[in-house]
Amino acid sequence: MKHSFIALIEDKCTSCMLCVRECPAWCISLDSHTIDVTEEGARRPRKVNVLDSFEIDYSLCMYCGVCIDVCPFDALAWDEHRALVTTNREDMLLGIEELGPSGSS
Amino acid sequence: MSRSFTWHQVEPKDWRDKIGESRNAGFTFFDFLTGVDRENVEGKQMCEVVVHLAKADLSESHFISTQVLNELPSITDLIPAAQWHERECAEMFGVQFNGGNAKPLLRHENLGRPPLLKSTVLAARVLTPWPGGAEPEIKEDGRKVGNASRRRQRPPGVPENWLKP
Amino acid sequence: MTRYALTVDPNVSVEVVSASLACCTLELQAALNSGSLIQVSESDTGPCVIVIAGTVTDALVPSVIELIHAYPGAKVMSFGACATSGGPYWDSPPVSKGIDQFVEVAAYVAGCPPRPDAFIQAIQELSSKRAS
Repeated sequence: MKHSFIALIEDKCTSCMLCVRECPAWCISLDSHTIDVTEEGARRPRKVNVLDSFEIDYSLCMYCGVCIDVCPFDALAWDEHRALVTTNREDMLLGIEELGPSGSS
Repeated sequence: MSRSFTWHQVEPKDWRDKIGESRNAGFTFFDFLTGVDRENVEGKQMCEVVVHLAKADLSESHFISTQVLNELPSITDLIPAAQWHERECAEMFGVQFNGGNAKPLLRHENLGRPPLLKSTVLAARVLTPWPGGAEPEIKEDGRKVGNASRRRQRPPGVPENWLKP
Repeated sequence: MTRYALTVDPNVSVEVVSASLACCTLELQAALNSGSLIQVSESDTGPCVIVIAGTVTDALVPSVIELIHAYPGAKVMSFGACATSGGPYWDSPPVSKGIDQFVEVAAYVAGCPPRPDAFIQAIQELSSKRAS
């Protein structure tokens, strides 16, 4: 495992905010909303968080991996096949699409 | 090579005696002296000062520590190499070493609070919006659902009501 | 100041000047000696890259600017989080929050520290930009 890039597996993220709050560099931001899901046979609807946006500012990220460690759902993982080089600083702010594991998009 | 480490916690009044005793027992290699901010110890703001002394072949180590409010006798006459460390500790943790060199090491004199104390607030942490303050349970129109009634969290290192009227 | 070429494509060569300011420097040396780069003769032509590797404190800013001005036409690479934005020291008063506040940066390399491949990737990017 190489500390090269932190990838987001969107389907696994439950918007619990643990990574955002633990990040020592404050480089992760997350936006979400709650919807009611009614399942057949259930007495009342279930609250489900829906991820609207997830961003890692790679200009700040210190690659400590705390976010990966605290994620209870393994939604964040080291991706050793990518390294980030950009020509302007704004491009270092990566959203859900760019954060997907390599080979998936 | 196996190494042995022993910890000795002493009262400030025994600080110099204990260090002198260790030095005379062959612990002549002075590694470092540093501070640890213990914050609130039984209602007092305490700083722990630690010294690491070792045998010259590094086979045995003594860590000698003491908890102080803000002053401690200097050990520079026993261990001259400790002077730089005492000056650093004084600057970073606000501990005064009586009888030592009081000249500032890196910082200008009277430049704010000692920077390594946990109670020294970094303004950037207060003024930068913390991304962790968002809550998934708060709807777009501001209505709270679920367990969002709990208090809004504060980022680590930011005291409540700092800089607020 | 040493001239390096890519092992895979020796026609691509760059002059590397490194500003060694903190721990990223060690990683930069690891990248330069990783086998992906070879040293070539000084007489080759090609772009000059100034690598700012490490934490830039406000006190050091004048020296960094002086270094960059000493190599007119050189491209500046911001190597690692500290040079790019202050990185782990983003909340520390004496650390400057990104060298792009005072110089034009041609490439930003993310990481704390960046991996050697990231450095090679940045070199490739900078040298191909010159060619096009």
